[in-house]
Amino acid sequence: MTGKERVYTAFSGSPTDKTVWVPFAGVHAGKLKGYSADEVLSNVDYLVSSLVEANNLYDPDGQPVVFDLQIEAETLGCKLLWSDKTPPTVVSHPLAENAADAESFEVPTHIPGPTEGRIPLCTEAMRRMKAAVGERTALYGLITGPMTLASHLRGTELFMDLILQPEKAHELLAYCLEVAKAVAGYYVQAGMDVIAVVDPMVSQISPDHFEEFLSPVFTQLFDHIRSLKALSSFFVCGNATRNIESMCKTRPNGISVDENVDLVAAKRITDRYGIVMGGNLPLTTIMLMGNQADNAKAALDLIEKAGEKWFILSPGCDMPYDTPPENVIAVAQAAHNPDLARSIVQAAGDKANDTFDIPVDIPDYAHRAVPLVEVFTLDSASCAACTYMMASANDMKQLFGDAIDVVEYKYTIRENVARCRKVGVKNLPSIYIDGELAWSSIIPTREEFIAAIQKAIAAH
Amino acid sequence: MSILDDISLSLQMGKLKETKEGVQLALDQGHSANEVLNALMAGMSIIGDKFKVNEIFVPEVLIAARAMNGGMSVLKPYLVSQGVKTKGKIVIGTVKGDLHDIGKNLVKMMIEGRGIEVVDLGSDVPPERFIQAAQDEHASVICCSALLTTTMVEMKNVVQKAESAGIRNAVKIMIGGAPVTDAYRKAIGADLYAPDAASAAETVAALFPAA
Repeated sequence: MTGKERVYTAFSGSPTDKTVWVPFAGVHAGKLKGYSADEVLSNVDYLVSSLVEANNLYDPDGQPVVFDLQIEAETLGCKLLWSDKTPPTVVSHPLAENAADAESFEVPTHIPGPTEGRIPLCTEAMRRMKAAVGERTALYGLITGPMTLASHLRGTELFMDLILQPEKAHELLAYCLEVAKAVAGYYVQAGMDVIAVVDPMVSQISPDHFEEFLSPVFTQLFDHIRSLKALSSFFVCGNATRNIESMCKTRPNGISVDENVDLVAAKRITDRYGIVMGGNLPLTTIMLMGNQADNAKAALDLIEKAGEKWFILSPGCDMPYDTPPENVIAVAQAAHNPDLARSIVQAAGDKANDTFDIPVDIPDYAHRAVPLVEVFTLDSASCAACTYMMASANDMKQLFGDAIDVVEYKYTIRENVARCRKVGVKNLPSIYIDGELAWSSIIPTREEFIAAIQKAIAAH
Repeated sequence: MSILDDISLSLQMGKLKETKEGVQLALDQGHSANEVLNALMAGMSIIGDKFKVNEIFVPEVLIAARAMNGGMSVLKPYLVSQGVKTKGKIVIGTVKGDLHDIGKNLVKMMIEGRGIEVVDLGSDVPPERFIQAAQDEHASVICCSALLTTTMVEMKNVVQKAESAGIRNAVKIMIGGAPVTDAYRKAIGADLYAPDAASAAETVAALFPAA
């Protein structure tokens, strides 16, 4: 099965050959290529090259193209504050600017066209990604849900509007629904397979308010996405537990939750509705601050509990910019090569018992005739990032011939686990040149690799 | 039901006009400013408890807070003239680089509802400003809020700044926000962590014996 087939199979409720894996690499993808968040969200070339890199490194079955909940708000007059490590923040609320009377506002009528704001950047990125990876990877177009868009326009006053002027709130949400429908249309036309409606504000209101204000709106939105012949997913961050059943009734094809929700408990509800449940790896404690073994373990545990059908493994939400790539790679292994992932966990756990205390010879790098490029991998045959890294090292071997030696140490071989320990390799895959760490889970550009090798040759 | 109970109930139901009218009526009837303040705080306390257990949510809390503020605007001159003091003072803000403030505002409301004065530094607050404000205002607690994994790292800087300014032992540092955990509090050497606004108010209130 291709990744894309796997995603569609999951949405149909049939068991998949491997766990379906959809990493939410938004601004984090930019980090892989050295672009800041604001760069990657405003330059289509940077964005696409970052997303392609994420695709090569993380072996996703599905992948979002743009993860930015401010796209629509920006076209509707909200000012944004840009940042180097996060998506931009909305800092002005056009419908809350009546200083004399906080309650008074006019519901807008303008629906953004396909050439407004950064919508063309999104659709262009989508078209290019479709061409580059679209046959093997399902592509997700993310739109801002009506409640969150309304809160961008109206600020925190929106929460009080629900109680103090409900008719006006209904009107505003109806308008935001029309915006969402239009943008969904642009993204489907640009080739998106799944439209994810991302609406974190949903987790801040009561089930009664959800039923009264949002059920009809989301039902219409998911019906509309269905009519466009695309799949739909309902992403809500925060503790959405109490609203899960109501969310199911609006008939999305999938729901995605974060670590605030007990995924297994919520899945009992979504299973009844034939809706795919996605999530919910913890973003900070595990993905950002944990190590490879922590991530492999967390993912394996979650997969085991979630079951074979109606499940997509994802981070809880958009991954932090600085998430170590090796952690995401470990999660990918848990989904696609669970035995390999288990060996990472086992080796880490064995440190205390030292069952990998096998004698290992470290080369005498300084006295070798030629530089030694050592590639520590999980397994270049089955781990995509490792394949990618090994390919670049082999490319160097082709280029430099006998002027360098290249060797791979696969973690699947016990002596190599011992070698990793002795050398102090922290993350896999990694490239060492003459015993010094050169790159850890990042694939160097050809030029970077050539320059580093030339430097090493000169030193011999 | 007494007029004081009416005030608490009006606040809980987010009825701004009735709360203000109730406050004025109670004062006209001869209730002390302190008694009326306690009635408002009692209402806010119930709101906090319900919010904590997910019986009510952000909209309900905001309109209750609006009613509280309305009641306080009527009450304030009486509190001043009758010499009613707050039970303590704290400083709060969203950390540098972070503009999200709903959570921070809810915490502020809950803490004020406990009769504690809150100096609100707003959002995008650099560490130096937290420290300076704590010193200028003689505040005993610095509360830091963050919504993003990328900005919560600033909380560590606040702790370090408090150390280098020599006030670390004089203030308690409390942290909170969606990505924040108690484990993180421990890792950065902060004193307190609260998972929600009501718990935050409880935790801070416990630091002021009279509160």
